[in-house]
Amino acid sequence: MPSLLFSTPHLAWLMISPTHYVRLSAVLFAIGLMGLMTRRNVLMILLCIEVMFNAANLAFVAYARAWGNLDGHVVVFFIITVAAAEVTVGLAIAILLARQLKTLNADEVRLLKW
Amino acid sequence: MIDIPTIPWCALAPELAVATWILLLLVATLCVPAHRQSVLSHLAVLGIVVAAGLLVWASQHPSASGGTAMLSLDRFGGYFKGLLLLATAVVIVMTRLPRQLLTHVGAFYLLLYTALLGALILVSVNNLLLLFLGLELLTFSLYIMAAYVKTDPRSVEAGMKYLILGSVSSGFLIYGIALLYGMAGTITFTGVRAAFANTQPTPVAGQVGLYLILAGLGFKVAAVPFQLWVPDVYEGAPTPVVAMLSVGSKMAGVVAMLRLLDGLVAPVQWVWTPVLAVISAATMLYGNLGAIPQTNIKRLLGYSSIGHAGYLLMGIATATPESAAAISYYLLAYLCSNLAVFLVVVIVGGATGSDSLDEYRGLSRRSPGLAAAMFIALLSLAGVPPLAGFVGKLLVLLSAVKGQRLWLVAIGAVNVAISLYYYLTVVKRMYLEAPNTSSSIRITPLAAATLAALVLGIVVVGVYQQPFLAYIRSTL
Repeated sequence: MPSLLFSTPHLAWLMISPTHYVRLSAVLFAIGLMGLMTRRNVLMILLCIEVMFNAANLAFVAYARAWGNLDGHVVVFFIITVAAAEVTVGLAIAILLARQLKTLNADEVRLLKW
Repeated sequence: MIDIPTIPWCALAPELAVATWILLLLVATLCVPAHRQSVLSHLAVLGIVVAAGLLVWASQHPSASGGTAMLSLDRFGGYFKGLLLLATAVVIVMTRLPRQLLTHVGAFYLLLYTALLGALILVSVNNLLLLFLGLELLTFSLYIMAAYVKTDPRSVEAGMKYLILGSVSSGFLIYGIALLYGMAGTITFTGVRAAFANTQPTPVAGQVGLYLILAGLGFKVAAVPFQLWVPDVYEGAPTPVVAMLSVGSKMAGVVAMLRLLDGLVAPVQWVWTPVLAVISAATMLYGNLGAIPQTNIKRLLGYSSIGHAGYLLMGIATATPESAAAISYYLLAYLCSNLAVFLVVVIVGGATGSDSLDEYRGLSRRSPGLAAAMFIALLSLAGVPPLAGFVGKLLVLLSAVKGQRLWLVAIGAVNVAISLYYYLTVVKRMYLEAPNTSSSIRITPLAAATLAALVLGIVVVGVYQQPFLAYIRSTL
């Protein structure tokens, strides 16, 4: 990056490298996992799963940038498609759940022994 | 200059046939009127026959596989493709029995075929992206199939639980793949394997990636600690779906693990094998001890399938060609026995409208043939000689003895005794207790023929091991 700001040696730590993105993706993954364990609403759980998938997307793009090849970018397209399919099925089943059990709270869904 | 690889269309013929049939079924579901639904099941069975024929034909045309190809279309995968087609055919037979999934059966076959295609991809996977896609295709179809009886809250609940836990494990899997890609810069098995072989010491990110992938696949095969969904989904989902789940899905997961171990993890086996050995012991104990207090046959079979996952993982943890052969044999035995048991469960459940163990009281007096088939299949699952399940367990335990894991073998042997106890409580109900009603259970000729074939398979595979073992060893 040939900008004046980033080429100044004493400001080099401001440079954002792929490593930062990978660390951010790990944080995102952890946030998704935490939300998954603490949230009880089915819709929120589905959203947390989306966050986990997008953490993987971010990691793939960052690594693809670092390696300078296209494999990671290709995988991201597939993950986006798969995540869309997953949330479609998830919402459809959530609607069935709301109709049959009149609740979206995961703790109240206990016809089968958990 | 872009190097365009030649595609081995001949070797891909079974997958192409299944993909074609998905489209055919989609159109047929829309065209066939509601009162002619049996046409659809004939079409579905025809698709299996065509794919099986093409599988035999394709095996005559070996293709140069391995390397950076996305799928390794070898004979090892071909063997499991045959088993998967067989399992799907039996599941289609189950849907033809009275009082099973009478509505929208065409869409059900469509989903069954997409699940089959996902499993076919998984058993020949040689690329991390295809590992993810095959797994997702298989599990997404099963999510919908588990929630298929829209009016039954238990089925919907089973679908939701399966979907949430399945998606989480997909998240683990894909993040693990991202870490491996970051380490190696490629998503082919050979590329990642070479990166592992050339990097000393093994990068932490690579190890974490391998564990995350193990978690994703552990969910599929129902290994502890990713087994929580199993009893609930088995109890709530329609029985034909549970049969597919317990046989097809588990087989695909186990074979994908074998492929990974052989093609990708080989240079750093020490990352996986000790963990797998501990998981295997925990899985066996959890499944077999959990099955003892159960009062619902499908829930009991759910725990039993966790127990069997433990034995399969023991074979994977041993990681020798011999243990791969043992697993292949075990899966054949497990397929015959488990499908026979589930066929009986479908028949009894259809006749009595319940899956409670109490419905099996006095089954030998109500329907001797059904009780005898269930007896043989349960003994095979427990591992009683000379049935197929015994030889499978023996081979897995022997390979673990040669792999110097005697503590694991001891736990495996103890678990045979535990599993015998709860399988025999079902047998006790069938043979020693008085029936609730004396009316006999009607069996259609199709169901009787399929059940007889499966029981014959259990006995033949158990008594004449040599031809089967020789074939399996030749595919390795």
